[in-house]
Amino acid sequence: MHGILEGGSRRVTKPDPLEPVRHGLRARAGSGAPTPECLDDDTIAALADGTLAPPTRAAVLPHVAGCARCRTAVASVARALADTGVAREVDSIEGGRRRIYRIALPVVAAAALLLVLVWPRPVDHDGLPHRAPPITASAVPVPLSPIGTVADAGVLRWTAVAGADRYRVTLSDAGGRVLHEMQVADTVVALPDSLVLVPGRSYVWLVEARIGFERWSVSRLVEFSIAGPPPP
Amino acid sequence: MEDWAAELQQARPDAAWDLFVGRYRRLIFAAIRHYAQDYDDVMDVFARVCEALREDDLRRLRVYVRQSEHRARFSTWLVTVVRHLTVDWFRQRDGRRRLSAVAEGLPPLRRRIFEHVFLEHKSHVETFELLRAGEAPALTFRQFLAELRLTYKAVTDGRRGRLLRELGTAPPPETESDAATGAAAPETRAELERALDSLTAEDRAAVQLYVIDELPAEAVAKVVGLPNAKAVYNRVYRALAALRERLEQAGLRREDL
Repeated sequence: MHGILEGGSRRVTKPDPLEPVRHGLRARAGSGAPTPECLDDDTIAALADGTLAPPTRAAVLPHVAGCARCRTAVASVARALADTGVAREVDSIEGGRRRIYRIALPVVAAAALLLVLVWPRPVDHDGLPHRAPPITASAVPVPLSPIGTVADAGVLRWTAVAGADRYRVTLSDAGGRVLHEMQVADTVVALPDSLVLVPGRSYVWLVEARIGFERWSVSRLVEFSIAGPPPP
Repeated sequence: MEDWAAELQQARPDAAWDLFVGRYRRLIFAAIRHYAQDYDDVMDVFARVCEALREDDLRRLRVYVRQSEHRARFSTWLVTVVRHLTVDWFRQRDGRRRLSAVAEGLPPLRRRIFEHVFLEHKSHVETFELLRAGEAPALTFRQFLAELRLTYKAVTDGRRGRLLRELGTAPPPETESDAATGAAAPETRAELERALDSLTAEDRAAVQLYVIDELPAEAVAKVVGLPNAKAVYNRVYRALAALRERLEQAGLRREDL
């Protein structure tokens, strides 16, 4: 840790002057057994995130200062939130909507205006069905195949959703690592040849149907594997 | 309201779960991967997290949804819950596994150190004092530290850092000079505690988070409500100066700590 008493870089190039204090304070830390006063998850999360209201923060800080268990939890969650992978997911969940509106709304508004000005008035509706004929119409898409152990998984199929104009398919390995993501208008998608699925290994996939502006209905997560010997 | 929460309020836990997992699966995995790198560990912990969240028809999520006021964002709350479940999973697994597979092969003194530090989560100094009061009254702190280092080596196979800290066990002393500073700690601890208690709660929390937990100053600022990292440096600097002055008045120098 950077020796703040002497200034300088955060990189340790000489013995840390805080180390003796750290040792002394760690000795004080104790076993950190839980007490009735220990903070709940919501408060720990809000402290780590810096969203706790000032009066509440003032009320809980004395406990944090005296309870190794809660202080460790707060520090741990704060570190996790700073983790690149966690921050990216939090941002995509919490910030995605705000970011989409902030960036997309002006673009959409401009495009709509352009359409109003230049688009020829509709002269005919030929009565074509919306995308592929639905197999069933439900509020959420239902994965049809592959599910369970299959001989081949080159193509993913699901049921149509009434009013949906786009589907987003996400295929992951069992560890949650996204292998393939694709948006299509149909209810079937062929996986690219570059994506090699290993027989005997588990994969999961789901499909989301766009049913409005940034409104998606999500299928259940289904698992499949390709028949064959398990990976070595 | 999010779709999974709406389903939950309609008493449809299965539908709520599917929607919840679809939306938060990646975040859960990312949070687990912050603590665990081994693929099998990640998958086992993910299964445990899912099991815990699904218990009693999604009781944890129902309780959260029913709360009229939330202090934290849901995603942060979820990271907190995943953190607790992950640490508990490692604690239970390591406790069981180490006790049966490793600790039983240790010499008696190291086995007692293992029990105090890893299973009961006592601090090193507490462990030393318990041993002195019990089975090893002649044990010096330097001997204790040597045994402690060997215990860590046997138990962790050299694994150190984040997970050990999360499991509530401080890293073992690295050097003989560490041993020397540690050796003096029992005698000066009371004075240090008095000096620390003389600080405000905000200063105490800032010092502990920055010095003990080694949290970046930006993160400390968020926790204690300071505007930025520079404010944390200033606050900790002043608090440590006050601590040093008080300790020097008590006749303790930095080398005594």
